[in-house]
Amino acid sequence: MVVINDRSRDLGPFMPADDDGLIICRCEEITKGEIRRAVHDGMFNLHEVRRFLRCGMGLCQGQTCGRLVRSIVARELGTPIAQIDEATARAPMRPIEMSVFAKEVEDV
Amino acid sequence: MKRYDLIVVGAGPAGLSAAAEAAAHGLGVAVFDENSRPGGQLFKQIHKFFGSKEHKAKIRGYDIGAGLLREAEGLGVKVYLNSPVTGMYLDREIVAETDGAVSHYRADAIVVATGASENMVAFDGWTLPGVMGAGAAQTMMNINRVRPGSRVLMLGSGNVGLVVGYQLLQAGCELAAVVDAAPRVGGYGVHAAKLARCGVPFFLSHTIVKAEGETRVTGVVIGRVDETWNIVPGTQKHFDADTICVAAGLSPSTRLLLMAGCEMYEPVPGGGRLPVCDEFTGKTSVQGIYAAGDVSGIEEASSAMIEGRAAGAAAAAELGYISGGELKARLDKLETALASLREGMFAPKNRGKVFVKTDEGYDISDSLLRNGYLADGEATKYPGVKSVAGIHPVIECTQNIPCNPCQDACPKGCIKVGTNIVSLPAVDEKAGCIGCGMCVASCSGQAVFLVNEDVGGGFATVTAPYEFLPVPQKGERGVALDRSGAPVCEAEIVDVRTSPSFDRTFLLTFRVPGEQCSRARFWRREVRRFGRD
Amino acid sequence: MRLTDHPILGRPDRGRVVTFNFDGGEMSGFEGEPIAAALRAAGVAVHRYTKKHRAPRGVFCAIGRCTDCVMVVDGRPNVRTCVTPLAEGMCVKTQYGAGGGELGSSAAPEAADGRATDEKV
Repeated sequence: MVVINDRSRDLGPFMPADDDGLIICRCEEITKGEIRRAVHDGMFNLHEVRRFLRCGMGLCQGQTCGRLVRSIVARELGTPIAQIDEATARAPMRPIEMSVFAKEVEDV
Repeated sequence: MKRYDLIVVGAGPAGLSAAAEAAAHGLGVAVFDENSRPGGQLFKQIHKFFGSKEHKAKIRGYDIGAGLLREAEGLGVKVYLNSPVTGMYLDREIVAETDGAVSHYRADAIVVATGASENMVAFDGWTLPGVMGAGAAQTMMNINRVRPGSRVLMLGSGNVGLVVGYQLLQAGCELAAVVDAAPRVGGYGVHAAKLARCGVPFFLSHTIVKAEGETRVTGVVIGRVDETWNIVPGTQKHFDADTICVAAGLSPSTRLLLMAGCEMYEPVPGGGRLPVCDEFTGKTSVQGIYAAGDVSGIEEASSAMIEGRAAGAAAAAELGYISGGELKARLDKLETALASLREGMFAPKNRGKVFVKTDEGYDISDSLLRNGYLADGEATKYPGVKSVAGIHPVIECTQNIPCNPCQDACPKGCIKVGTNIVSLPAVDEKAGCIGCGMCVASCSGQAVFLVNEDVGGGFATVTAPYEFLPVPQKGERGVALDRSGAPVCEAEIVDVRTSPSFDRTFLLTFRVPGEQCSRARFWRREVRRFGRD
Repeated sequence: MRLTDHPILGRPDRGRVVTFNFDGGEMSGFEGEPIAAALRAAGVAVHRYTKKHRAPRGVFCAIGRCTDCVMVVDGRPNVRTCVTPLAEGMCVKTQYGAGGGELGSSAAPEAADGRATDEKV
C-alpha cells in the first residue's frame, strides 16, 4: 500500500486514448478518460477517485462499475491490481429514500 | 429491536439451507431477502443439476428451490421478503428495510449468504437498451416469461453464458453467436455441445468491438483479439441482433462482511476479495458471523446448499443447541458430499487451470474447447462411446464433471462411473442395454444418446434428448444435424417418448442412413436451410 | 415477446390483465408482473434518458441492482421498474435525467435539472 500512496511518483503525461469516451460508471456517466485523468491529477486510490468524480456514488453504489474502475486505476498507476483497495462498504447497502430512513420502527 | 437466535441474510440456496439446518436443531431463525420471491437464483434455473443423488442431481433448479423453501418454512423459519438488509453493525445487529420503514434486528449468530453479482464488460455502446446481463435475460424469460429479445448475441462462454444461451433457445429466441475473449470455452463442454448442435457458432478469442444502434441495440460488431487483448485489424464481423447478453463471471457480494469487519483476502488479483473463513462451515474472523455460498467464493448452487447446511450446524453448536460431538458427526457427513463436488474442473482448487487431459489420461478435445463440439471421429476415443450391435448408450461426456445420475439411471448396469463421481462414464457393452432411455433423460449435460447402428434396410436410429417446443411427431420428416449443427441427412422421427421420470425431457428417436449414426446428434424440422445459419 | 408456452416451464400462470398509462398512451399488462416486463412485452426498450448525455437506457440487471431501468411511476422518479409490480391504472413515464425537480412531475429533457432530487444515497 505504501507504493500506491507515493505521491512523488511520476506517472508521465496523460496520454489520450481512443476509448477515453467509454462510459464506465453507468449511473453517474463517468468515462474511462475521466478516470484515467483523475489518476494523473493525483487520485491514487478508489476512495479518492470516487469522491473526485462521483463514479460509484450513483443509485447502484458502484455495484456495476466497481471492478472496472479498479482495473483502470491499477493500469494507470502501473501497479498490480491487488494493491488497489476496493471501495469501503457503507450503509445503506441499497438505495433507500430519506423518508424511509426517517421511519425507524422501535418495536417490531 | 427484535431478536432471533440466527439471522440469515439472503434466501438463496445457501441461506435457505443454513436456515433449515439451524431451525431443525431448534434455533429461532429469520431469513431476510431483498427480493419479492425467495430462492435466490434457483427459480431461474430450469436445467437439471449436476452432482449425485445426495446433491439433488438431475433435478431442475426451481424444484430444488421449492423443496428448500417448504423445508425451511415447515421448520418455522421466518422469511422476510422485500426486505433488503442495508447495514450490519457491532454485536451482530442488522438494519433491514421493510414496508417503507427501517427496523433493527439482533441475533446471536448471522449467516451472510448474499450470493454474487454479475461482472460487466465495458464496450462501445454497452449502455444502450438491449445490452444486459445474462442473469437479466434469464429473469426476463424464466421468471417474467417475456423474451428479452428476438436475436441475441452472448458474450461469455462460461457455464452461465452457455446455460443461459440454451435457455434463450428454449424460450424461442435466436442465438446469433457465443463470443469469448478467452481462447477456450470456459464452461463445461457438454453445455457448449448442446448449443453447437443447434447450430450456434462459437467465436473464441473474440470480443465485442461495439454495439450498434441509436436508441437500442440493432447489431453487434465483434473482432478477434491478440495475446494482448487488442482487436486484430480486419477481423471484424457484424451480426444483426437486438439483444446482447454479458456473462463475464460473478463477483461475491461481500459488502456486508466488509462492513462487519471480517478479515478478507483476494485469491485472484482483481477478482474481488473473499472472507477469510473455514472453507466448510464459513466461520469468519468475527465471532458469530458465517459466510455461506457464493459470497465465500463462487461455486455452484449444489455446493452452496451444503455450505449453508454446514454453517447452520456450526451456528447451532456455537449457541449450544447441539454438542461438539453431534456437530462433528453432522459435518463429517456433509463434508463427504462437498468433497465429491469439489473434485470437478470448477472446484476452488482448480480455478484458472487449463485442462488438456482428463484424470484418466484421455486428451480433452481441442475442437470441443475451441468450437463447442467434438470433431467427427473424436468421440470414440472416450470410454462412454463404443460401437456394438443392438441398441446401446453413447455417452459423449469427455471432461471430469462431478456427476453420476447416468450410472444410477441404468437398470441394467450398462454405465459405470465408479465411486469417484468425477470419473468419465464408461459403457459396459456386455451388460445388455434395453433401450429404456433413462440415461438419456437423466443426463444433466444432455450428452447421452441411444444408438442402434443397424435397424435393417441400411438404416440406424439415434435417440437424443429434446427440450424444445413444438415437440416433433412420430412420422415427421426433417434433417439430422451433426455436432456442429450442420445438416447431414434427412431423418424421420420414428419414436417420441415422454414420461414423468424424464422430467420434461423428450426422447426423440430418428432414423438415419447407417453410416450417419456416429454423426447425427440432433434433429431439425426444416429441410429448407442447409448449411450454418 | 410474451412466452405463451415453454418446454420446461409450461404455460405461465399470470395475474389478471390490467391497463396502465405509458407516456400518455394506454397499455395493458398483467397485474403483479414487474412494470419492465409489461413494457418489454409491448416492445418498449427505452426506460429513461440520462442526466448528462441524454443517452437512452433500459433493463440491464433485471433484479433491482443496477437501477438503469428507473422511470417516473405515479409521479415518483427513480422507481426500479424491474422489481416494481404493475398495478391497475399506474402512470408510467420515461424518465429524463433525475426525473424532475419535484415529486409528481416528470420534466421534459430541456428542463431536466435534477438537483433537487440528486440521487446521493
